[in-house]
Amino acid sequence: MNKNFTPKIIYFMCNWCGTGGAESASAHHLYYPENVLPYRVNCTGSLSTVLILRAFIDGADGVIISGCHPGDCHYEDGNFRERKRVATIKSIIESLGLEEDRIWFRYVAHGEGKRFVDTTTEFNDYIKKIGPNPLKERSDT
Amino acid sequence: MAKESSVLIYGTNLGGYRAAYALCKKGHKVILLNRGSYVDDIRNQTLSQLPLDFCWMCGHFPQRLFKALGCVQDFYNAELLEVSGQAGDFTVKFKTKPQVVNNFICTECDECIEVCPEVVGDRKAIYVHPEIGWENIYLIDWENCTKCGKCEEVCPTDALKLERSEEVQEVKVAAIILALEYNDPTIEDLKNFSFGKSPSIVKNSEIARNSLLTNFVKDSVKLPSGKIPQNFAVVVTPHFNNHGTEYESYNLSVSAAYRGVRLKEILPESDVTIFLKDYRGFGKRHYRWYKKALDAGVHIEKVDDIKASPKNKEEVNLQYEKDGKSHEKTVEYTILINGQKSPNLMKDMSEICGVKADENGFCNIKPFSCSETDVDGIFAVGEFTGPKGNPEAIWEGCATLTESLKYLGETNFKPPAPPSLRNVDVEEKKIGVFICSCFGTFNDKMDLNDLKETVEAIPDVSHAEIIKGCCTPPSIKETAELIKKSGVNRVVLAVCTPIQKLLKFRKTVMMAGLNPLLSEFLRLREDVINVHKDKVKMLEKSLTLIKAAVAKTKKSVQNPTLKESFTPHALVIGAGLSGLTCASEIADNGFQVTLIEKNENLGGNEKYFDKQQKEYLDKLISKVKDNQNIKVYQKAELKRMSGYAGNFYGAILSEKKEIPIDVGVIVLATGAKEHKPKEFLYGEDQRVITQTELQNNLNGKKIGNQVVMIQCVGSKNDEHPYCSRVCCNQALKNALSLKETGSEVTILYRDMTNYGKENYYQKALDSGVKFIRFEDNKYPEVKKNADALEVIKSDGEKIKVDLVVLSTGIEPDEENNRNLSNLLGYPMDKDGFFDSDVNVYPYEESIKRLFKPYEWATNCIYPVGLAHSPRAFEESILTARDIAGRALILLGKKMLPAPNAMYIAEVKDALCMGCGICVDVCAYSARAIDIEKKIAVVHPFLCDSCGSCVSVCPNDASYLRDFMSNQTISTLDALLA
Ligand code: SF4
Ligand code: SF4
Ligand code: FES
Repeated sequence: MNKNFTPKIIYFMCNWCGTGGAESASAHHLYYPENVLPYRVNCTGSLSTVLILRAFIDGADGVIISGCHPGDCHYEDGNFRERKRVATIKSIIESLGLEEDRIWFRYVAHGEGKRFVDTTTEFNDYIKKIGPNPLKERSDT
Repeated sequence: MAKESSVLIYGTNLGGYRAAYALCKKGHKVILLNRGSYVDDIRNQTLSQLPLDFCWMCGHFPQRLFKALGCVQDFYNAELLEVSGQAGDFTVKFKTKPQVVNNFICTECDECIEVCPEVVGDRKAIYVHPEIGWENIYLIDWENCTKCGKCEEVCPTDALKLERSEEVQEVKVAAIILALEYNDPTIEDLKNFSFGKSPSIVKNSEIARNSLLTNFVKDSVKLPSGKIPQNFAVVVTPHFNNHGTEYESYNLSVSAAYRGVRLKEILPESDVTIFLKDYRGFGKRHYRWYKKALDAGVHIEKVDDIKASPKNKEEVNLQYEKDGKSHEKTVEYTILINGQKSPNLMKDMSEICGVKADENGFCNIKPFSCSETDVDGIFAVGEFTGPKGNPEAIWEGCATLTESLKYLGETNFKPPAPPSLRNVDVEEKKIGVFICSCFGTFNDKMDLNDLKETVEAIPDVSHAEIIKGCCTPPSIKETAELIKKSGVNRVVLAVCTPIQKLLKFRKTVMMAGLNPLLSEFLRLREDVINVHKDKVKMLEKSLTLIKAAVAKTKKSVQNPTLKESFTPHALVIGAGLSGLTCASEIADNGFQVTLIEKNENLGGNEKYFDKQQKEYLDKLISKVKDNQNIKVYQKAELKRMSGYAGNFYGAILSEKKEIPIDVGVIVLATGAKEHKPKEFLYGEDQRVITQTELQNNLNGKKIGNQVVMIQCVGSKNDEHPYCSRVCCNQALKNALSLKETGSEVTILYRDMTNYGKENYYQKALDSGVKFIRFEDNKYPEVKKNADALEVIKSDGEKIKVDLVVLSTGIEPDEENNRNLSNLLGYPMDKDGFFDSDVNVYPYEESIKRLFKPYEWATNCIYPVGLAHSPRAFEESILTARDIAGRALILLGKKMLPAPNAMYIAEVKDALCMGCGICVDVCAYSARAIDIEKKIAVVHPFLCDSCGSCVSVCPNDASYLRDFMSNQTISTLDALLA
């Protein structure tokens, strides 16, 4: 593991539970790594494959997506559709030579600040272990 | 005499909040008396009213909306003192003491906590409420507070005042709604279960609360020693508690099943047993949870009595009675699902305003009404009138609007007109970044000046400035002025939580004359200041976030709010009890109603009603017939319908003639029918009849010596996996009548799902009705032996009988429902009723509040009564009045902005190829393919801005107005630059 490696992590979260989780974390002053950058969208179901792949092409070392728990999506089933899409994206990035675990999908509810923070730290540690996004080194992307 | 227009609400149960919301929306000012010292002080116990763990407080809590609208005046630490006058003109005196931390001005900067010198464990004497996630509530622990006044000094907005004085106020109102909260059972009340005696015996609501921050995980059930138990009991306490100690609400059996399922999820190896008397999950989809629990491997023990006592520090001894035998079991963890106590303020309320109590100590409600007490003009909702689950409480809130309107004068509240916005298309793009210092409190956490200077250097930024705030009325005004003065036409606000303050941020931008689409808000506090420590990295992260927001706003396009007309006309399909109620309530308030009925007669399932119910219905029918505003078509049906919320147009078919109609809302009151059994010799032997047939034959004379009733005929099986809700009470009532004539009555049952105010079950037990349970799949048999009729119980015992009465359930009219479902594009549930998740767990619906208010939730097509799910008489009336209330809110308005107005999805015509993928994916039926142009179009009234269509469109033709692909890509690029 490279000690000096600070991964770039994009955290996509829906405007409701995901964002709420981050806000509970803040209300209770729970700390997490600064290199996790939030990107809020209305519902995780609005995240297209293209947008997420763009994150990897732009050099993100990892992507987390957090939406509402099953049955809680504020727009019926956006979270399920996104979870399905993530499965596809995993195989796409694998074929690009990335580890499929560079993208995580985890449900976080509004009050679950602790879970939110745990997710970020766990993921950050994991990405640190597997190292930087190899696409950054390649010229064909 | 001129009527008053305002309404006073005392108490903050869910029904009360919902009523407040509905009244405001209708245009009446509301005075809300909160007995606690912060918004959810007392109502917070609601968590145990929910069947599921997720709190949803953020959702059904409309306070912020009230504030934004400015129509609710709320008072804290309030106490009702005196009521005089009569309906339409009450004078009310009450006591109140303002909050120590006024949570409307409080910016949640945490400065007070920082300066407080008194450390108590891991917190200070002033601290943030640990349980409420959606809004930070600051509490003072008076025992440890020394009143040193440091917090007061440091508070930047003067929200905090340690000394507040009590005052007495007097107001004039037209109506009063009592919405007092229930009392949770005490340690004493739960002594049979040894609650409070061992850390292994806990209330379900505590678990739900403790797992708020983490979700329900193994640690949520950890014992003090650190051990994770593997052996669980879940006990529904009101089933076994002494009569009158606590009452069972609608949700408890489901809560138990849900907890069982979740325990199995987190600890698959564990042993979970649910103890209850009967599985009384009679709500929509509740029976499915029972199946789910069994499938998950949870044991469900239906027992007659149970007691729990601690065995040692980490084990609990359970003693229970089943089938006349005593059993014992040792578990490591016991979860108590407790009920609600009758309100202890009932007596005071009787003295102050004359309302009467019922036999159980809840507030009495007039028959056939949802919230009218014995005093005209005084209403009661929620758990003040009986044990309640969330759905009913919320329905009552809206129903009370329907019932109270007759006492209210002219509307007295109009939301302020939105400021006029300037057209920035003619201007050169200028982006301004406004960094909030939260009244100076961010300064020592981060070098804001440094940040500002770096931001100024970003090429696209033409102005950067540090602002005080934009969440209190003066600071909103100030910031709006600053934006105007700076001359920018695109705004980035680096502020805090949009979940709570979105409306305020948007207001700031609009007051500066800019379309809110031209702005972007980022959370400096939640994403940086509160969650990181390293100042250099914080600065870096803030800068990245600001750059991303700038990149997005650079591509923003202004767009007007869409408005449409709302047809002030309602269509009610079906003229049974619910349909008639709904039609008459809407018409009474001056709107046109078209009521269509496919049969010759009005009245629907009339033959199933008892005498008083029939009388009520007959009156209702003549009322509807006489009402000028209602046009009734008998033997008519819906022919076609297009359009959407507020703008439906179509035709009905009556006597072979097509009659075109335009309506704003559609009420589905198609009813349901009685299940006709094929088994148990029904139809073959005259002595086998249904409960309804029995009811119609009852005339005080003895019908037979030996009568056996069989419950759950045609309910809770594979074909109809739901509880029909009405049959148990009907059977009990009939059994009581038979008993009076001297017959012997035996009831063979699976679960006695008796509920409601009258305890027929207890009465039947007392009068000697015999109850024998059979297993879910071991129904008794009915046989003819020569001429005698015999019932063979599941244990083989034979009973000679004179009469067999089958409790047949309710069955949806599937074919009819499906037709309508296709015509209207409105979904059905798996059981053949009309679907409506929001009605199952209605706390879910208003969560769309910031974007979409709940009366829109089903796009103005509302299933009521039996069309929605099995319901008893009064419950059908309740759903009908709830829906009438929602419709009344909307029908009154002429031009409405589309609920999501600014932020809807649109289509780039040139890119769309009309593939229709987005149409399929839209859960709100907001999209269609335009027949002429052959491309997708969006109905602004229906779009909920979920963005699903954006992510599926292969051609990038679909976009949200604030989520266009060039914006999202630039944002992402900027974040990762
Ligand atoms: S998915 Fe895109 S291309 Fe297909 S109809 Fe919808 S907007 Fe048009
Ligand atoms: S944003 Fe959602 S609701 Fe609106 S049209 Fe697209 S899919 Fe339908
Ligand atoms: S709204 Fe949270 S995932 Fe859809």
